[in-house]
Amino acid sequence: MAIFRNLAGGLRALFRRKTRNAEIQEELSSFIAASTADKMRTGMSRKAAEQAARAEAGSAEAVRQMVWSAGWESQAESIGRDLRLSVRTLRKSPGFTLAAILTLALGIGAVTAVFSVVHSVLLEPFRFPDSGRVMVLRETERSMSSALLPDNPKHFQNWQQNARTLAGSAIFQNSGYSISAGNGPPEIVRGLRVQPGFFAVLGVQPMLGREFAPGEAVEGREHEVILTWGAWQSYFNGAADVIGKTLRDGGELQTVVGVMPRDFELPVMSESASASSRTTEYQVFTPLVPDPNQMSDDGDFNFLAVARLRLGVTPAQAQAELNTIQAAFNQAHHVTTNPRVVAEPILQEVTGGVKTALWVLLAAVAAVLLIGCVNLANLELARAVARDRELAMRAALGAARKRLMWSALSDSIVLAAVGGALGILLSFTGVSLFVAAAPRNLPRVADVQVSWPVLLAAIAVSCLTAVLFGALPALRSMRVDPQSVLQTSATRVANTREGARTRNLLVAAEVAGTVVLLIVAGLLLRSFSRLLDQPRDFDSSHVTLAEVYLYSQQYGETNPKSEQLRAAFIDRALADLQALPGVRSVAVTSERPLAGDTWIDTVLRPDHPLPPDQTPTANIRMISPSYIDTLRIPLLEGRNLSPADKPHPTVALISAQAARHIWPGQDPVGRTFTLGDQAILTVVGVVADARINDLRHTANMIYLPYWNLPWYRPSFLVRSVQGIDGIAPEIRQTIWNIDPTVAIPTLAPLDTEVSQSVASERFQTVLLTSFAAAALLLALLGIYGVLAYSVSLRRQEFGIRVALGSDKPGLMRLVVRQAAVPVLGGALAGLALAFATTRWLESMLYETRVTDPAAIAGSLALLLLVALLAALLPARRAAKIDPMAALRCE
Amino acid sequence: MGNESGDLVQGTLEMLVLKTLALEPMHGYGIALRIEQVSKGVFRVNPGSLLPALSRMERSGQISSAWKPTENNRRAKYYALTARGRKALEQERRQWGRQAGAIARILEA
Repeated sequence: MAIFRNLAGGLRALFRRKTRNAEIQEELSSFIAASTADKMRTGMSRKAAEQAARAEAGSAEAVRQMVWSAGWESQAESIGRDLRLSVRTLRKSPGFTLAAILTLALGIGAVTAVFSVVHSVLLEPFRFPDSGRVMVLRETERSMSSALLPDNPKHFQNWQQNARTLAGSAIFQNSGYSISAGNGPPEIVRGLRVQPGFFAVLGVQPMLGREFAPGEAVEGREHEVILTWGAWQSYFNGAADVIGKTLRDGGELQTVVGVMPRDFELPVMSESASASSRTTEYQVFTPLVPDPNQMSDDGDFNFLAVARLRLGVTPAQAQAELNTIQAAFNQAHHVTTNPRVVAEPILQEVTGGVKTALWVLLAAVAAVLLIGCVNLANLELARAVARDRELAMRAALGAARKRLMWSALSDSIVLAAVGGALGILLSFTGVSLFVAAAPRNLPRVADVQVSWPVLLAAIAVSCLTAVLFGALPALRSMRVDPQSVLQTSATRVANTREGARTRNLLVAAEVAGTVVLLIVAGLLLRSFSRLLDQPRDFDSSHVTLAEVYLYSQQYGETNPKSEQLRAAFIDRALADLQALPGVRSVAVTSERPLAGDTWIDTVLRPDHPLPPDQTPTANIRMISPSYIDTLRIPLLEGRNLSPADKPHPTVALISAQAARHIWPGQDPVGRTFTLGDQAILTVVGVVADARINDLRHTANMIYLPYWNLPWYRPSFLVRSVQGIDGIAPEIRQTIWNIDPTVAIPTLAPLDTEVSQSVASERFQTVLLTSFAAAALLLALLGIYGVLAYSVSLRRQEFGIRVALGSDKPGLMRLVVRQAAVPVLGGALAGLALAFATTRWLESMLYETRVTDPAAIAGSLALLLLVALLAALLPARRAAKIDPMAALRCE
Repeated sequence: MGNESGDLVQGTLEMLVLKTLALEPMHGYGIALRIEQVSKGVFRVNPGSLLPALSRMERSGQISSAWKPTENNRRAKYYALTARGRKALEQERRQWGRQAGAIARILEA
């Protein structure tokens, strides 16, 4: 209350200064009038009484000043005066001001933008009620080197029935849909098949209609669909009476039973932790009907599950309970692979893969801002030295140290305020640039925005920068000794040993930070070039990818002849595409290339049974015999598949790595294996380890002829003379001619797919390299600035040296040597810092050790080269000093 | 001003003002005059110290003020003690008593 009154009174006085002054004046003159009247009563003449009263009262202006200084507002006023003075002096040195504001605006803008991303992607909880309690359950097996797997449905059923730590749980599975509303062509969208209760676990209910009822998830009753807000808009234009209306999925009628709210946010969660997705959002949800064929005790890891923890239960407790339940199950059902359960918060599941990269980005951009601050501190320090006389004079005249410190800090406050405001404005642009350039599989990227917490953080960062680069000059002003300063010339004081040491320390700090950033960027560049340069054993140039979804009714499992129909479709497509002008060869595969490891089966050798936890696994692909020629995958041994194999659908190609893992030390050609079912397959050939799933690694691959199991999602690969240009419409037309009910195929050059598949790596490499370049530029300016300043202070000294016979190379060496100490010291410190910090990068690097000598040596060499460049300019100036002119000007 | 015995002990002005205002609301000159009269001319308070003190005390809520016409047809700011001021006076009086007694004992020892 008292504070409030004080504040209000002060503010009133500040804003109604005139009224306040008039009041003081009136009170004073009424005081004098009363005093005069009193004195006249004692017999004085009016004139004498007035004079005496005025003399007693003293100067009206002084009284006014004293009344003013009684409140806090006078402090505020003097700070205001300092700030106004700062603005005036800064405007007088536009070069420095512009450089400082630009440095701060860009630095703060970049930090704010990257922090917006970190905040929106990693920190902002999901918009589910109490989303911290929503877990994603996965399984893991030691034989799979503890990689996170999807869930076995039977295991899940057991957890769901027995777990007491879970308030609710639901199993779900990713699915593609071929949706058509009205008469439009079908469109392939992404969605989930979910167990009824799924949305209750998330805590979000449809805004229209209802969730699936338990009875709906049974065979024959699954023709119901829940739409997201976006799907509701695009298929029904947001019509309010959508509930009960129908749309077609794969030609079959589906009834809309619900529409999710607009802010319902559910990013794509792939079953396979290593699979990469191209889309980031779901459109439709359908009930998950349990498939009795996928109810084995082990294997069938094809599902994911969400669960909501009971109040007060920690994720670790839930995981422990689930593991107890699973262990009992393993024992009872003799599951020797001993799967374990992993419960992770949904935020971790969605964003775990990008966590390190985003934090590293934030750290890097903050380091750049820090280096910018160090530069500014150095410049401010030089300016402060020039103001020593002014400060000394003020101190000598009785100014309080606190006041002097404030006025020294006020330059920085003004710069940080302007730079921070501009930076915040820039950050909005920065965020849109980031979102536009970000890889499409960065989760939650569509929600990235500059939010209130981020703005507060930006303001805090701005204040911090003001303190960071303003503190040194301000502290220095406290130590100014009026006597010594006023007695000596400014230039001599400026070059005291102490001043030089501070500046050298700042340069060293700047160099250290730059070295760390350069090494980080160097490591990423090495890792990225390694990723691109290693042999891929496939050739993506001039190949067009056409992904076709056979989701129409006749291709579905309900049709007993669907398999023949799918095979017929693929046969005809291969033939028709081959007939297009310019086409060299056409192939089909069951999985889009570069989609990661999918369709993983265990490979059993009848001649050599192994315990379950040692059974090798492989990615299964259904291909046409033309596949390895179209992609130019070298055939290493045996023969390719051939159309002549059609009557004998038991042949297989395997990759070299699969050969090594399944038949170690043996010739695999002619050997037999099974994938756990009846069919016995025979290896006819071995192909090279093409990195067709993922440039990052090779996998065990088994290629079977497509007529074995014609897949729903054939991806056609068309190698043509002209690439995708000019042939795309023909490819679409060809597919439509075969079956107009098939959704529009998505076409893309395979080259683009390859480059997209490493988009995250490219993105972080580009960003971190540009941050490192910015840091290098700042370091260059910093070293140059300090040396140029010191050379300008030592003009006289150099003049004397020249006069005494010093030669030019000698002078240049002198200047360069002066730079050498802080630069080398900083580089060493940076190297040590890099060794301490780069191990966090390990997970971001591809086949590159954090101690990669080329990256480290290259970074150091680059830095030293730039430092030398920065030192040579001032050194040349020093060497050019005319002794006569230098000695005369003082 | 310049009176050899007129300088107040540091910090006592506010206490004297509080005590003076405890009797009745007064304007600035009235307070100064009263302090001078009661102290038999030992303490003379000039506006340069009185007005800032009044402003400070008003800001801290110990006194309140209102413009009223004076006997010689001018406007003057009349100050009155608030409840908070009364409490402050009690406290200062007690503290002063303690300190004065202590000083006296030291001087007599």
